[in-house]
Amino acid sequence: MSADVELGVPDLPTGSVEGVELNTVDLTVGYDGSPVIHGVSINVAPREVVSIVGPNGSGKSTLLKAIVGVLEPLGGSIRVGGRDVTGWRSENIARIGVGYVPQIDDVFAPLTVRENLEMGGYLLKSREVAPRIDHVMSVFPQLSRMAGRRAGKLSGGERKMLAMGRALMLAPALVVLDEPTANLAPIVAAAVLQQHVRQLAATGASVLVVEQRARAVLEISDRTYVLGGGQVRMEGTPAELATSSEFVESFLGGNTRSGV
Amino acid sequence: MSVFIASIGFGLVTAAVLALASVGFTLQFAVTNVLNLAYGGVMIVAAYAAYALNERGVNIWISAPAAILIGAVLSVLLNNLIYTPFGRRGTTPIAMVIVALGMTLILEFGTQALAGPTNVSYIMSQGATVKLGSIELTVVQLVIIGLSIVVMILVHGLIRYTRLGKAMRATAANRNLARNCGIRTDRVITVTWLISGALCGLAGLTFAMNSGTFGATSTDIFLVLILAAVFLGGPGEPYGAMLGALIIGLATEVSASIIVSDYKDVVAFVILLAMLTIRPTGLLGARA
Amino acid sequence: MVYYITTLLVYAGVDAIACLGLSQQFGVGGVTNFGFIIFQAAGAYVAGALSLPSDHVDGGFQSYILGWHLPFPFPWIGATVVGGLLAIPFALIVGKRIRGDFAAIGLLVTAVMFNLLVTNYVPLFNGAAGLSLVPSPLQGSFNPQSTGYQWGYGIVAILVAFATYLFVTRITESPYGRSLRAMRDNDTVADSLGKNVRSLRTSSLIIGGAIAGLSGGVLVGFINLWDPQAWGYAETVVLFAAVIIGGLGNHRGAMLGAVLVPVAFEEATRYIPPVPGNPNLIPALQWVVIGLLILVFLWFRPQGILPERRRKLATRFASEPGMQPGAMDSAPAPLADFAGPVTGPKPVGVTETEVTETETVGVGAADGQADAPPATSDVILECRDLVREFDGVRAVDGVSMAFQRGRLTGIIGPNGAGKSTVLAMLAGTLPSTSGQILFKGEDVTRLPAFRRARMGLVRTFQLASEFKRLTVLENLLTAIPDQEGDSFVGALRGRRRWGAQERELIDSAQAMLERFGLLGLADRYAGDLSGGQRRLVEIMRALMAQPAVLLLDEPMAGVHPRLAHDIGMQLVRLCEEGTTIVMVEHELSIMDEFCDPVYVLADGRVLAQGAMAALRAKEEVVEAYLVG
Repeated sequence: MSADVELGVPDLPTGSVEGVELNTVDLTVGYDGSPVIHGVSINVAPREVVSIVGPNGSGKSTLLKAIVGVLEPLGGSIRVGGRDVTGWRSENIARIGVGYVPQIDDVFAPLTVRENLEMGGYLLKSREVAPRIDHVMSVFPQLSRMAGRRAGKLSGGERKMLAMGRALMLAPALVVLDEPTANLAPIVAAAVLQQHVRQLAATGASVLVVEQRARAVLEISDRTYVLGGGQVRMEGTPAELATSSEFVESFLGGNTRSGV
Repeated sequence: MSVFIASIGFGLVTAAVLALASVGFTLQFAVTNVLNLAYGGVMIVAAYAAYALNERGVNIWISAPAAILIGAVLSVLLNNLIYTPFGRRGTTPIAMVIVALGMTLILEFGTQALAGPTNVSYIMSQGATVKLGSIELTVVQLVIIGLSIVVMILVHGLIRYTRLGKAMRATAANRNLARNCGIRTDRVITVTWLISGALCGLAGLTFAMNSGTFGATSTDIFLVLILAAVFLGGPGEPYGAMLGALIIGLATEVSASIIVSDYKDVVAFVILLAMLTIRPTGLLGARA
Repeated sequence: MVYYITTLLVYAGVDAIACLGLSQQFGVGGVTNFGFIIFQAAGAYVAGALSLPSDHVDGGFQSYILGWHLPFPFPWIGATVVGGLLAIPFALIVGKRIRGDFAAIGLLVTAVMFNLLVTNYVPLFNGAAGLSLVPSPLQGSFNPQSTGYQWGYGIVAILVAFATYLFVTRITESPYGRSLRAMRDNDTVADSLGKNVRSLRTSSLIIGGAIAGLSGGVLVGFINLWDPQAWGYAETVVLFAAVIIGGLGNHRGAMLGAVLVPVAFEEATRYIPPVPGNPNLIPALQWVVIGLLILVFLWFRPQGILPERRRKLATRFASEPGMQPGAMDSAPAPLADFAGPVTGPKPVGVTETEVTETETVGVGAADGQADAPPATSDVILECRDLVREFDGVRAVDGVSMAFQRGRLTGIIGPNGAGKSTVLAMLAGTLPSTSGQILFKGEDVTRLPAFRRARMGLVRTFQLASEFKRLTVLENLLTAIPDQEGDSFVGALRGRRRWGAQERELIDSAQAMLERFGLLGLADRYAGDLSGGQRRLVEIMRALMAQPAVLLLDEPMAGVHPRLAHDIGMQLVRLCEEGTTIVMVEHELSIMDEFCDPVYVLADGRVLAQGAMAALRAKEEVVEAYLVG
């Protein structure tokens, strides 16, 4: 895959965002009554980029889905900005300022780029929509060139830009991203993480990102949790983790697979 | 030749009724991914609702809102009490078809139990015949065409320009993502069924008007025309349904003037089967 | 009164026959044919038109084709044959990959269309008026109105129903029936195990169609008339309702449904006195109640009154107590000390080999062979420049790999590297965009999956793909190739022909279960097992297929490390016996222990290949994993 995404260097966005704190306490989530993650407690503070890494099947996506209301937890609690939102439906969680960029099905494929952004701004007053779209397009200049194109026809990198732009429309206080660099070429992936994900925190939001590319996401994180077998195995700053052999092992070794 | 041109006129009337029905049907499919095969049943119940007033002396045009109201309410009940609960249970698409067919039996034969097996007609005047070249249509038929055009414009306005229309499109495109944008998809779905149900009721009324006489099972064949129009345009695509309705309406009536009129509906069948096997996403659908 | 009972008998028989046909097609074969009524109608028409004299006779007030005035039993035979033949064009529609509900509509609409055509095209079967004065069978020799004849007919109808029951049961309870049920549960997997799904579906349609045709023939000989009103789409719904209420996948259930719905129900309501002023009320309400029954049953008891029976085939039972689902999750007992090879059935004249150390397979890794390509001499499976492009994304971007006979080759790589896609293309369950695949020297690139399976190339799946409504034992048995009873003819020949072989196969399947410690679960539905257990069933099932090359897609996912080790040992033994194994895995420790060589895929391309230890030392491999 070639580097088909041009990277503009974004200006600081107009106005900053009041980030909110995210806390999960002893969270247990699963499907059909059997838990995939258990007893997971994590925190994200405003202006922080917190990443969650771990091998395949460790429950990273499941955790995010519970936080944004797609899955109802089996146990534990979730607090956003001090408010208990455990078991809330996803449309209501979105309404209190949580933006979610899912891993797949991340755009409205039959709609154009502009319409996708409009949908993202559904909750805004109609006169606020256009300026907000302009702002998002200044953050992602490629989008303005493709405003009339159907989202389903975009390349992987362009789609991800759009997905993030759509989430940005509401200037979320907490941004949750599920493997934003999946299926992107390494150069593009690095750019997405460094330019955009890091930037979100710079504007004031709290950022929680799950990633497979552990090295790359570590570079932009303030703190990282390592998930394995449905539980938090390690936690620390990138500096602490990078020097830990246990960290490398947890990816290349075999002892973090849950034996369910 | 004049028979041919005249048939275009009839085709437009059929297309008008079909458009009302197909757009409603396709909207239901768009937001809930369910093929509401009980649609014909709701249509005929609505038609009878208007008849209930009409036979007691109320002018059919004043009885019309009864049909629209019944169509809307019945459709919402159908979705909220039947389709959604069955869907939540993980019922397979084929079992859902059987559920819909079962509902059709209940609606149509329930109506027949109450109203009796003989066909009925609205007490109404078809109005004078208007000639436009070789095309001869009654006033009522022209009204139906006009009504349909107005409704199509309203639907267009709804989908394109209102907030609700946006929410409907988002819900239809990607329900989970719509919820992540803060859209209350459950409400959107209920309102969509209300609106499409109203269209269904109106379609039932105009169908009954245009048919002359009608009975509880009269919409069985018409449902196939609806399916043909919907699949021609692409299931879930309202503009596709409009286009499909126009084509099917014209095709069936025009073919009646060319081949024996008894088989006119066969054209619709063939088109439907062709679309299902060759291009199920329809002419205006996304990808093949 | 007598007439009433005899009429009831005939209708019961006819409905039972029709429901059995539908049960076979839909309940066993999983083919949803909403056009089913057409076959019964065709049978009735053909039987009528065959037994009627030429249409010029009798004053020529009817018009129809045929009119050959054939004596009994030819009309019935004709009805059956036509019902079967008519199924063939349907097979063309039903097989296509379209959504179940779209296909259902297509078939339903086809039924309506046929009804319309027959109603309007008079020369065919006399249009809307239909056929009348259809001769009763043997009416030359007997008086059809006599009590004796009526009783005779009723009894014959019941006997034919019973014979049909025996026929469909014989088919369903054979290895062939097992394949049909496997196809019903998961046609993609059945395909990957060597079942010709298209031919299975077609034969299901033909059998069901023929039976439906027969039911039409029997009916028309009794009521002596047949018109389009008798076979609208409401009648189709009633048949489906009968089969669903009676019990899907159970032929006794189908007969029960036939008796309950069209017969008992109609008869029960006959006794309700008609409502004055609204004589149509009761008949109309009948339909409403049928609709309600459909909804009620689909909600509360979708499996029907007599659900499909679980086939208990096990002859041996586990010696250790406590073999339950979930037992695999805690540290399991060590696998039984396996004596003898792990391959499938017919362990004839086998020498016992001892458990060898696994290190022998992995040895040689450290001494600089990291980048040596495998010798081309004994390559049994290879792909060249394999590409998979979909929706503008290249999941696989020019992969070339060669797998040597008798080796356990591993494929690793981070998520999204394309490993599973490559595997799927090798097996044929996913088409390739470009590139070549050679198996045993032959180009199999365009060969469908089931043919590759029959050649000996078998795969497992990453996600749950057991046949849920078959038992664990049945799952294993479906995979075994060349079964005597696994064809229509073989099934018809009956248990006498395939019974002995089946017993042997059950034995070897049980032996396999025992080795993997799951013998106690032999008769449980595969869908009820825990994740790890289902994983094992998948592997065992693939082994039963006696593959030359086995493609495993993340077989250790969700399996306890101890058990994973034991499985690995089994796989190594298999390789020693000549089976070639290609294993996609995420667990790198498995690669360490068992696989040599190993391919590393990243971003849809081969990044490196060689022995695992050497690969671990390579920068770019480590980076690929951490970078993603």
